[in-house]
Order: sequence, then C-alpha cells, then structure tokens
Amino acid sequence: MTTNAMTTNVREAALRPFGKPSRLWWLAITVLGAMVVGGIAAWVVQLRDGMGVAGYSDQAFWAIYIADVITFIGVSYGGAVVSAILRLTGATWRAPLVRMAEGTAVITVLVGTALILPHLGRPDRVWELLTQPNLSAPVFWDLVAVSTYTVASILFFTLPLVPDMAILGQEHGQQLGHRRATLYAFVSRGWTGAPRQRAVLAGALGLVSIMIIPLAVSVHSVLSWAFALVSGPWWHESIWAPYFVVAALYSGVALVILVVAGFRRGYHLEGLITERHFVRLGFLLATLSATYLYLTFADILPGAYVGEPSIAAVFTELLTGHLAVYFWVFIVAAGVLPLLLVALPWTRNVWGMVVASALVAPAMWVKRMLMVVDPSTYNNISGTFSSYHFTWVAITITLAAVAAVPLLLMLLFRVVPLLSIDEIEEMEEASTDYPPAEPSQSAGRDANAVGATGTSHRAAGTLGVLMLIALLGMFGVGTADPAQAATPQSASVVTPRSASVSTATGAPTITIKGVEGGGKVQLTATLTGANGQPQADAPVAFSFSTTQFGTPARLVPLGSITTDASGVAKLILGGDADHMYLPTTVGPQEFAATFTPTAADAKPITSSVTVNITVARSAYNPAPPKPLAGVGKGLVVALFAIVTAIWLTMAAQVWRVRRVTHGVQKPTTSSA
Amino acid sequence: MRTEEQPAGPPPGNEPDKRQAFTRRKILATLGVTAAGGALAMVNYRDDAQAATTSRTATAITEAKAAKHAWCMVIDLRVCDGCKLCTLSCQQRHQLPEEQTWIKVYSMEHEGQTFPMPVPCMMCEDPPCMYVCPVGSTFRTDEGLVLVDQDTCIGSRACMAACPYEARYFNWKEPPPVKKMPLPPTPQMPVPQQKGTVGKCVYCADRLPNGELPACVSGCPMGVIYIGDLVTDVAVNGLGETVVLSEFLHKNDAVRYKEELGTNPRCYYIAGHGQSLGAGA
Repeated sequence: MTTNAMTTNVREAALRPFGKPSRLWWLAITVLGAMVVGGIAAWVVQLRDGMGVAGYSDQAFWAIYIADVITFIGVSYGGAVVSAILRLTGATWRAPLVRMAEGTAVITVLVGTALILPHLGRPDRVWELLTQPNLSAPVFWDLVAVSTYTVASILFFTLPLVPDMAILGQEHGQQLGHRRATLYAFVSRGWTGAPRQRAVLAGALGLVSIMIIPLAVSVHSVLSWAFALVSGPWWHESIWAPYFVVAALYSGVALVILVVAGFRRGYHLEGLITERHFVRLGFLLATLSATYLYLTFADILPGAYVGEPSIAAVFTELLTGHLAVYFWVFIVAAGVLPLLLVALPWTRNVWGMVVASALVAPAMWVKRMLMVVDPSTYNNISGTFSSYHFTWVAITITLAAVAAVPLLLMLLFRVVPLLSIDEIEEMEEASTDYPPAEPSQSAGRDANAVGATGTSHRAAGTLGVLMLIALLGMFGVGTADPAQAATPQSASVVTPRSASVSTATGAPTITIKGVEGGGKVQLTATLTGANGQPQADAPVAFSFSTTQFGTPARLVPLGSITTDASGVAKLILGGDADHMYLPTTVGPQEFAATFTPTAADAKPITSSVTVNITVARSAYNPAPPKPLAGVGKGLVVALFAIVTAIWLTMAAQVWRVRRVTHGVQKPTTSSA
Repeated sequence: MRTEEQPAGPPPGNEPDKRQAFTRRKILATLGVTAAGGALAMVNYRDDAQAATTSRTATAITEAKAAKHAWCMVIDLRVCDGCKLCTLSCQQRHQLPEEQTWIKVYSMEHEGQTFPMPVPCMMCEDPPCMYVCPVGSTFRTDEGLVLVDQDTCIGSRACMAACPYEARYFNWKEPPPVKKMPLPPTPQMPVPQQKGTVGKCVYCADRLPNGELPACVSGCPMGVIYIGDLVTDVAVNGLGETVVLSEFLHKNDAVRYKEELGTNPRCYYIAGHGQSLGAGA
C-alpha cells in the first residue's frame, strides 16, 4: 500500500458526506428536527404558562435545565481533550478523530449555552447580562468564560479547515458543488501549503490548543462556582471546581466516542478509524472514570463523616433516601460498568467502548441532576426535603437539546469536511507508529510546527497559569457600608426648655427637668405627694417620645428610678447598664417622667420636658469589615485584563494566518 | 441628604434630582453600551450598599454613612403562639398567592419540643443574594433594606440558591390578579408581581417612611414581631409596645439566626418557645 493510495482513501472518505444523502440520513434529520421543533414548542408553552409547567417550585428552584446546561457544556470538553491535549502530547493517532471532536465541542457548547434560556424566568431580559452585569456574580463570569471558550473552540475548529478546504477546493472542486466550492475558496484563499504558511498555522494552532485547556478548565470551574459560592449544603464545596472539570472531561470523551462511532458507521470510515482508536479513547475514559469515582468519594466523605446536620441530611437523601436509586444507578452505569468494559479483554472493542460511552453520557446527566436537585430541594430552615417531578415540558426541551447535537453535527459535516485531511496525511507521512503508511516527503513540516509551537508555548502557558490563579480567588467577600453615627458635636449647651405639668390640687404632681451637660443628658423628676410633701420611695418611669412609628407620638420607656427622701428621681442617659439609651439625633427631644399612684382609681401623672440635644450618636454599630473585603475589586480588574489578553491573542492568531496567506494571494488566485 | 427626603420614593433610577438620576442604569438606558471599556466603567461590583442604588460618588458615600435609619426586626419567640396571622397579613397586603409566604412560620424542634418560629427576610448587611445576582436586580438601600427590582430580574434564581434563610419566592406562573393598586409596582411595594421574577419580604418598605408598621408587625396579635431602627435605637410591636432597641436586645440575649454564616442579619430573635404564654412549661 502506498501513501498515495491512503491519501486518496482519506480524501474520498472526507468527501463522502457531501454526496447525495441516503434515505437513512433524511430519516435521521427528520426525526431529530422534529424533536428540536417539539422542544421549541414546549419552551413556548413554558414561556406562556411560566416555569411551573417544567416541574419547578420554590422547593425545587433549580433542577433539570441547569443540569442540562452543565451536561452539555461539560461534554464540550471532550473536543478539547481529544484534540488539544492529544495534540500537545503528540499523540498522532488522534488525527482522524480531531475534526469530529472539535465539531462536537463547538456544537455542544452552543447547545449548552442555548439551554440557559429555558432556565431563566425572563429570557427576554437576557441582554441585561451585558448591559448591567454585576461583577460579583458567578453567573456573569460564567458568561465571560463560556463566551471566551466558545470563540476559542470555534477558532480551534476553523483554523485547521484552511488547508483542508484548500486541498478539497483546489483538487476536488468538481465534487464539492457550487456553494461549498465558494465557501472553501473564501476560507482557504491564499493557502498554498508553503512551509512558512504551515509553520504559522501550526504555531497558531499550538497556541490555541494550549489556551483552550485552561479556558475549558475555567468554564467548568466557574459553572461549579455558581453552586460552590453559596452556603447551601453540598454546593458549598471546594472540591466542586475540579470535580466539574473531571466530570466534563469524562462525559466529553464518552460523547466523542459516540459521535465518532456514529459517523464511522454512517459514512463507513472503518478503514480510517479502527478499533485501536476506540480502545485508546476507552483507556482515557477508564482513567477519567476512576478519577471521577475517586472524586465522588472524596466529595462525600468529609461531609458525611463530620455529620453537620444539613450536609448529613443531604447525603442521607443521596445515599439511602429518595435519590439513592439514581445515585447507585449512576455508580454502576458511570463507574463500575465502564471500568469493567474497558478492563475485560473481550469487551475491549468498538462495541464495548460504545456501550460504555452510551452508559456514561446519560449517567453523568443523572449525576448532575442529583447534584442540583438534592440541595435545591433541601429546606435550609426546616431541614426537610421536597421533590422535583419531571414534566413533559422539561423532558421535551431536554430531549430537543439531545437531538440538536447529532442534528447540527450532521448538518455541519454536510458543509465542512468530516476528516482533518491535511493532518491525517501529515501524520501518515511523518509517523511510523500509525497504520501501514511509509514515511516520505516534506520532513520539514513537523520541524517547523514544533518550533512554532515551542515559542508560543511559554506565553500561552504563563497566560493560562495567571488566569487560573486569578480565577481561584475570583470573588472577594464584600462588605456592606452601613449607616454611621450622626456627626457628634463638641459643644455641650445646656438648654432645658419647658418644665412641668401640674395636675389638680390635692393630687400628686410631678415635674421633670432635663439638662445636657458634658455630653450627658440628665433627667430629674420631682414628685410631690397629694399632701404637698415630696414623695419618697415611689417609682418614676422615664421615657422619651418618638414619632418615628407614627403619630401620636409613642413613649419609649427608659427605665424606672425610685425617688429619694426629697422626692427626686434622677436618670442619666447611658449612665449604667440598666439605662443604656443615648440620644441618637441632635435637636429638640422630648422626655417624660410618669408616676402611677398605687391607689386603684388614680391615673398616671406625667410631666415632659424638651431638651435640645447637641451631642448625639447613632446607636448602630456596623460590623467590622471582612478580612478579605476589597480583594474582589482588584480581582475583577485582573480578570478583565486576562480576558482581554486572551481575546487579543485569539484575534492575533486569526490575523497571523490571514496575513501569511494574504502575502501569496496573487499566485493562488491565478492558479485557482 | 437628598435621598433621605424621600426614602420610600420611586425605585432607583427615577430619582428626580439630576445628579442622582444620572446613575449607571439611566446612562445605560439612554446611551446603550457596547464597548467593553465603557461597560467596565459603568458596571457595578456589589461590594457595598451604595452600589445598588446610587452612583458611587463621594456624595453618595457620605449620605450612606449618615443614613438616618437602619431598619431591623426583633422576633420575640417567648410570646409567639404560631397563629400565622403575620403570614396572612403579609399575604393580604401584598396580594400573594397562598404558596408565597414572605414571612413563614416554621415549626422548629428543640429537645423534643416544637415551637413556632416566624422567618421573614433577614435583611442581611452582607446579603449573599445580592452578590450573586447576575444583573444587580437585588440591591440594598442605604437604610439596609434588601429589595428586588422585578423590572430587571432575569429569573436566574441564583439568589434563591444563595439565601440561607429560604426567604425568596419565585413567580412560577402568572401571579393571581390583584386589586387595583394606587401606584405602579416598585421594589418597595412589588404588587402586582411579575411572572418569572423573584419576590421576597420587603419589611413593607413603602410604609416605614410614613411611620406605619409592616403588615406582619401590625397583624401580630401577640406582639411577637418588632420593627426597629438600629440608628434611633427604637423598636415597636403591633401592640404598641415600644422599647429601647439596644437595651431590649441586650437584656434578652437576642441572637441572630445562622450568625456563623457572616451575613450579618438585621433580624434578631429572642429565644423561646412561647413560654410567656405558658407553653412548654
């Protein structure tokens, strides 16, 4: 077998999806399309009737849609791992898989992002995330991380299309059809495959593949922080960010296996994608499965061991309660069985890996449901659980998202080549490890590529590390800036104003005087008995009057003082522990002294005085600022700087590739 | 002191004063923002009370420091008999559906005994709900009331996840029709509510500036619930019992619910199980 034959084989295979679609293809498109339309219709119903129709309630306020969002954005990481990680580790066997993996990454992240809409109560206001974002909210950073990652994955998908589209457009133009040919000519304009162009493209791809790994890490971390940054049991876990990242990798690899298996069967790519590919992906799957199981154990053990009531309740519900059946199904379907299927030699084949992946993908959705619903249905006060019930609306919308992925992939690969032709051919030429191809031709390509990747490696690596560090402490603890004291005045003017109210002759009388001196208010009440003599040993109740809670004014008791031998009761505001009140506002304040005679028919007698308060202080003592207050603001600035740098770097890669093709545009145009 | 003159006034953004009116939201509404640089300058980082309602000018900060009120509640569990009239009064006033209990009476257990415990919004000074709101619809007034602007709420329910006190309720369907209201809904008096947005206890923020008591306070026949002001050091319950707030809290060993979470709630509990009524003796 010659390299030439293999090349023809690859190109022929890549062109297969562009032929006349089979009846099965149309059937699949129709069914999947109907599911998507059904989901949109269900969403319209939900928009009309409210989110209650999706099974939500105040006791299950987060449920299926947020689990869907996590699941779909999660599986998108599969593209990054198969493509970027394998690219960086130089695993050449990845070549026939990368295009499908990257396409899956793009499609699933778009579908996952779209699923945020049914999650929102008012999707019509979603633009407010851009026009009035709250920078301390994890959801805002979800938006930043997801959009950055989406652009990066689109870039990662699009850049390698340039040489492929050049090859197909220039050498197989007649098989493309008019519209594809026009598109391919536009995308690959100026591409000649010159060593310099190859070096630049490899450099750009190397940089993007380095960037996409921390970007994906950031996406899944920030998604987890939508949960971990609240105090709810099981959500408030430091392990959740890495837990989400591994979950994303795990489910992502499973989906790549399924997608690759689907297209392999549909377009008969068995010659290019062999059992070896599946087994290698299966090993990845098994590694991630074991890691995820380990993290699951590490996640649950500390809370269950310490047994704080709320966390213990949530884990009891999960492990032995109403949710236990789902949890243990997850353990079997996403833990035990995949590991067995990979471990046992007689299932370590295409079917075994496909079955394992078909178990993992939905089981990981179940796991996300558990992680959302268990704490969401827990009442933080009563410690009881309610439940979430699936409705047809919720299920229809979720199934629509499930259908949208293969649907969009099938449509996508009607437009762009299913296989990374250039890369496969390059691998075949350069590698001895890969199936029976002989090394030949252009040895310079790889050398160039490695060099370019190396230079960009450091910059991007530093960038990624910086971003991770910054993301880790993303949200500072804020402090309220509470009300402060009214400004105290230093002058202490004594201004007793009015003094006494006398009652009918023969009845006891009371008079009150109030002075402010040395910053203290002293109230003096003099009680005269019915006999005209000072009344001793009688309780006088002091109070002040407030209109804060409406008129007529209310009297606020300041405490009782017993009169002395001369009939005098003195109260110094704030004078002792039983009389803590101090004036809170400057200006006239009315105080009163009341005496209630012991005789059954006697009425209380009251005297009031207005004191012009000059020294006042707010009774309110704000809490001390939190130790980490203020970190948040610096972090926001740093994060914006990092995000800007990432976007500029990505734009620069497009510009680089455009420029290097632009330089040779003329000869290409003339040849094409 | 401009905003003080109308503490219950229109929702933020409708302030009549020109400088106050020139807030972030207004700017955005007028100009629209596309440039990332522009957005950076105008977005709000929720690290303090003013960020919610006013632009963070020096004036605004001075105002907040001199806030005339710091509203709070005191709930005296010694006299609560669990009749739930607080819930009913609130639901009537805000015309809420039955399942929305902005103040909810939980049946709590302690050492084998059960006792009723009304739970309104805690009006945290560090409100977790406010920090996580992606669009800043939850804000805190400089008088310490945590309110929701249902005109901008996108219904992400992040606040419901963040609230440790289960104080938030979502409008899962079209709210039941309400009696005609004299004024359009405001964050202070969000009636009628909007489908797909979050509602919560507001301490009857529209009543407080007028010296009126919140519905639950005036509706409680036992005088369990006090509305208070930490600045002027006064609190009053529905029976007209008025107390010096700091003294009342101090002498009765008042506590705040879930103090350990660091949310600095502005709702105090006086521990008890209705024993003043002879319960559980």
